[in-house]
Amino acid sequence: MVERASPLGSDFRPGFHGDFAEGTGVTILEAIKGSIVEANAWPGEEKTLTENLSAICRLKLSAAPGSGAANREGTCAFNIGPGRFLLSGQDEALAGDLIAAIDETTGTVTDLSHGRTVFAIEGSQVEWVLAKLFALDFSLSAFPVHTGRATAHHDLFVQIQRRGEKRFELYVFRSFARAFAKTLRRASEDVGYTIR
Amino acid sequence: MLIDCPHCGSRDLAEFSYQGDATRARPDLASTDTKAWLDYVYNRPNPAGRHREFWQHAGGCRAHLVVERDTLTHEILTVAFARDAAGGDAA
Amino acid sequence: MSPRRTSAGGLIDRTRTIRFTFDGESLTGHAGDTLASALLASGISLMGRSFKYHRPRGVFTAGIDEPNALVTLLREGVREPNIPATQIQIYDGLRAESQNRFPSLAWDIGAVNQLGGRLLGAGFYYKTFMGPVMGPLKGTRFWMMCEHFIRRAAGLGRADFEPDPSHYEQTNAFCDVLIVGGGIAGLMAAEAAAKAGKRVILAEQEPITGGFARWSGETIEGKPAHEWVSNLTARLASLDHVRLLTRTAVWGYYDGNTLAALERVNDHVARPPKGHPRQRHWTIRATDVVLATGALERPIVFPGNDRPGIMLAGAMRRYAEEFGVLPGSRTIFFTNNDSAYEAAANLRRAGGHVAAIVDVRAKISSAASELATAAGVSPLIGHAIVGSRGGKALSRVFVQAFDAASGTLSGDARQLECDSLAVSGGWQPVLHLASQAGAKPVWDGEKQAFLPPPPTQRWTGAGAFLGKFGTTDALASGRDAGLKCAGKRASRGQLPAIAPEALDLTPAPVLEIRARGRAFVDFQHDVTADDVRLAHREGFVSVEHLKRYTTLGMATDQGKTSNVPGLAIMATARGITIPEVGTTRFRPPYSPVAIGALAAERYGDLKPERYTPMHDWHVERGAEMTPAGLWNRPLIYAAAGETVEQAYIREAAAVRRSVGIVDVSTLGKIAVKGPDAATFLDRVYTNTFSTLKVGKARYGLMLREDGIAFDDGTTWRLGETNFLVTTTTANAGAVMQHLEYCLDILWPELKVHLTSVTDQWAGAAIAGPKARAVLEGCVTGTKVDNETLPFMGIVHGQIDRAPVMICRLSFSGELAYEVYSGAGHGTHVWETLMEAGEPFDITPYGMEALGALRIEKGHVTGAEIDGRTTARDLYLDWMLSKKKPFIGSGLMDRPALIDKNRLRLVGVISLDGQKLGGGAHLVERGSADEPGESIGHVTAFCYSPTLQNYIGLALVRGGKLRHGTRAYLSDPLRGRFGQVEIVSHHFFDPDGERMHG
Ligand SMILES: [Zn+2]
Repeated sequence: MVERASPLGSDFRPGFHGDFAEGTGVTILEAIKGSIVEANAWPGEEKTLTENLSAICRLKLSAAPGSGAANREGTCAFNIGPGRFLLSGQDEALAGDLIAAIDETTGTVTDLSHGRTVFAIEGSQVEWVLAKLFALDFSLSAFPVHTGRATAHHDLFVQIQRRGEKRFELYVFRSFARAFAKTLRRASEDVGYTIR
Repeated sequence: MLIDCPHCGSRDLAEFSYQGDATRARPDLASTDTKAWLDYVYNRPNPAGRHREFWQHAGGCRAHLVVERDTLTHEILTVAFARDAAGGDAA
Repeated sequence: MSPRRTSAGGLIDRTRTIRFTFDGESLTGHAGDTLASALLASGISLMGRSFKYHRPRGVFTAGIDEPNALVTLLREGVREPNIPATQIQIYDGLRAESQNRFPSLAWDIGAVNQLGGRLLGAGFYYKTFMGPVMGPLKGTRFWMMCEHFIRRAAGLGRADFEPDPSHYEQTNAFCDVLIVGGGIAGLMAAEAAAKAGKRVILAEQEPITGGFARWSGETIEGKPAHEWVSNLTARLASLDHVRLLTRTAVWGYYDGNTLAALERVNDHVARPPKGHPRQRHWTIRATDVVLATGALERPIVFPGNDRPGIMLAGAMRRYAEEFGVLPGSRTIFFTNNDSAYEAAANLRRAGGHVAAIVDVRAKISSAASELATAAGVSPLIGHAIVGSRGGKALSRVFVQAFDAASGTLSGDARQLECDSLAVSGGWQPVLHLASQAGAKPVWDGEKQAFLPPPPTQRWTGAGAFLGKFGTTDALASGRDAGLKCAGKRASRGQLPAIAPEALDLTPAPVLEIRARGRAFVDFQHDVTADDVRLAHREGFVSVEHLKRYTTLGMATDQGKTSNVPGLAIMATARGITIPEVGTTRFRPPYSPVAIGALAAERYGDLKPERYTPMHDWHVERGAEMTPAGLWNRPLIYAAAGETVEQAYIREAAAVRRSVGIVDVSTLGKIAVKGPDAATFLDRVYTNTFSTLKVGKARYGLMLREDGIAFDDGTTWRLGETNFLVTTTTANAGAVMQHLEYCLDILWPELKVHLTSVTDQWAGAAIAGPKARAVLEGCVTGTKVDNETLPFMGIVHGQIDRAPVMICRLSFSGELAYEVYSGAGHGTHVWETLMEAGEPFDITPYGMEALGALRIEKGHVTGAEIDGRTTARDLYLDWMLSKKKPFIGSGLMDRPALIDKNRLRLVGVISLDGQKLGGGAHLVERGSADEPGESIGHVTAFCYSPTLQNYIGLALVRGGKLRHGTRAYLSDPLRGRFGQVEIVSHHFFDPDGERMHG
């Protein structure tokens, strides 16, 4: 297979940036995913779909709004709308496997492996930084680990999963990735940030 | 203004887009009743007070909602999925 | 040396000297000073000129309510006007300028405006705008003559033309309890709520919390009040679930307990540290809000009340106690309540000289008498100040016996020497946020103040906001408010002991002393008491009319010191009470907010640009990029020395001659899947998709419900229940939303899923007679010959190992293919196509050439599908299925939409060999100066390499009926008038032999 090009361009370069005199508050990186898909259940089939997805991806995914799951191999999934889930994993074959595996009577699966770019942001100041971009309560109690939210930063649709106490993954449309990287970096300047 | 999306919970108005009056009766797609179509497309009661409106949670779960709102006070009385509330052409 | 600084005391840091300039003069102050306190300390009392009459003005307050001392700050090369000197913390290198003066603050030419006081009275603008009813200056002509002069003289400080280099940012916060105001009440509320485990945000507009406690001179639990509040603040700051925001003014209270606040993060330093914003805008969503916004002092209005040296008594007290500044050496107090006595005693204790206390009341409390004694004077009760003298500084005031009950003066006026006057007209709770939240304040005749309305949102009041002005009240009501937000009952627990005991601050109902001379109500807008009465005589008696007619309360201070006196004067004029006059509902913002802070990341370089996967390739090849909505697309790939026109002509000609390649990744793409997908598409498109075979594409047209054309594009059937819908670049979002609307609201029974896949695919269109040859040179896994890949056919294969999907369709009229690959493979596939095209001199082309090719072919785009045209107008009626209903079919046949004389699509050819112009009108007759009636307009034009002439598409009355006729292009904007021929819009290969070949 041909290697996939990153949409981020040359100015997204590793190093320390912003006010990093006293260390950096967050680390930003492009989380490379082999596969990203959107899975969508027909009304009433939400449970069947999540069970199927859970079985194939070895996840404990529930159909509840905003719920999510992740496993050790880095496969993760979260709810982004009624009956709709975003799944990602390291394996490039996963998208094809899921499209083949989900029965048409359960729902549909659409490959977005090229269409979404994922940013991981982590660090002690991660909630502070993200609060600048989204009108969401990022506190751990309001936004527990593994759960997800579909939201927007002005014109940009962003789907967010909390992957750890201080780590989030942000899914954006690929064409916006470069502009969003800039926005994310600007928001991180006052706490200092590392690009990895 | 905040809208309490039945899927996502309370979210800022900026995530929603207004999608029109939810009190109109849409003729059947095959209907040739021009007057009924004109009523549906152009006539709006625009009430001062309680009103039913469609809003889409465009910057969120993408679901269309029926929002019952007081146009005088901005108070939001009820929010429901449009899918559950509407139901076909003649809704 | 600071002539007016006390030798000790105050909360400033006397060990740190700060240097700044005011109107170019080098001055010093101390850390902790505001610009106002530092100027006063330096002996400067003249700080500005008024807006209309250019009267000399000094600082009138010590806080956010300042109407007079507005200055312009110069920072990072940019002028920022109209900042209250009371709100500026000085820093080394600060540069401030006074305003509304020319050539200097001391000698101002505009002060002659004062002589024309009558002319510029209330309603001046309205009257002038209407003008005399007859004569040479009737109507608006008089206004037009005056405007030129007025514009130059009026206005507050001058804004800058330079772009603002500052960074602003916005942020969001969520909390259980937002406390507005960091005085004693606010701090107590924060502590009570925090102890109950609530997430608390406390916002204080000043740099340091404490409010009144910082300059009251009281003691709490035996400690100076300012120390007690610092300790409490430190305890709160150490808690994880409490966020203290200082320098943060909460300026708006919106629906859903959403509040807006502005944090002036770095306005107190010359330049923000690297990576830090100048200001941060907060949107705070709070379950509960505590309004502990305190109270502002009101003035008493009297003739000559605006001279430098006259200020509010509480401000005088604050300058003395907090900043160690004595604004004068002989100070007179003028009051209708007891608080001025405390201020006088404080001033005396700080080393000032109190020359007199003038009190309008006939009797005063024993507490007030004791304080007068402490201040070293015996008060002149039953007296009022009726005038003042002095040029740029106060030199004396006139006092007369006054009967508060009747409001009448008697006896002779006495004059009293002084260089400063401290005035108190009582206290008004700050109710702006409560009012913004949805209710009007309520007048309390007893307290002579507006009090908070019953809450319409989840807020609780505390402290002076409630009209309870004592420190004990602040402690108790603050604690109770915090407990209430935590769902607990009010506490009976012991409160910290306060000394001295609180006074009763109820004022006498006297807010104006009527005597000869100009008495100002609104200092910032120069509205006098007589202006208010003039408004009354002319019938502008309601509070809303009064405000607009006189501009009372409409300046940047939003009438913080003038609202209540203005209402009182109108009430007296009308012989009614203040509540009968009413109060206006307060609107956001409570205090000024920089536009930059509202725009924040939307201003400057953070626009949300979209880039295609091949963007960097285009830029490296020297493409000139052009915005298309949020997208960036190549306009042309200019060779050395080429103009835009030369470049696109070359590019388009290369497509017709051999082969070209264009980036079409921006087209909207929607995956439409499910058992009812075909049924769904039949309903939303005018033509039929259920009959489309798998592996084929079809051009489709959508209408709006009203029968007008909405969008067009090709739809590919990739599987029995799997379609890929493409939309125009511009309408991608709107079409997605429309389809979602249809599924959610119109036909929820249909099993169809929609997913935006615009960004999943990179698209490259290969067009020209050699297009097939290019594909043959690089595509594997499938044949691309005419049989395998006929017109509108789709195949799947690889290009240099990358999976691709190829559809044979044409926008240019040539043999053409759209090659789709995963976005991450886009550049790889593009480069491979370029390589394969090398033998044929493959030419990348941009938007201009794309446009020229489609105009030659007569294909419509958004320029023609403009929200007014129907399918018939565009000669797309062949796409309107008669076999099934679809969205828009119900109304598309209305008589007006099928009228023969509608604007319909034609082609136009230049007959004089000159350019056409987009948007230019077409006329049948006339001249450049007097063109005849428009019969339509040009929607797009280009130079056609095929026809070797300028051609265009146009919408003209009657459309086809005019083929072969002539008309004139009338384009007065571009100074162009010339003849054109109207022809079919199919300029090129009308039978489609080339694209089907
Ligand atoms: Zn939602």
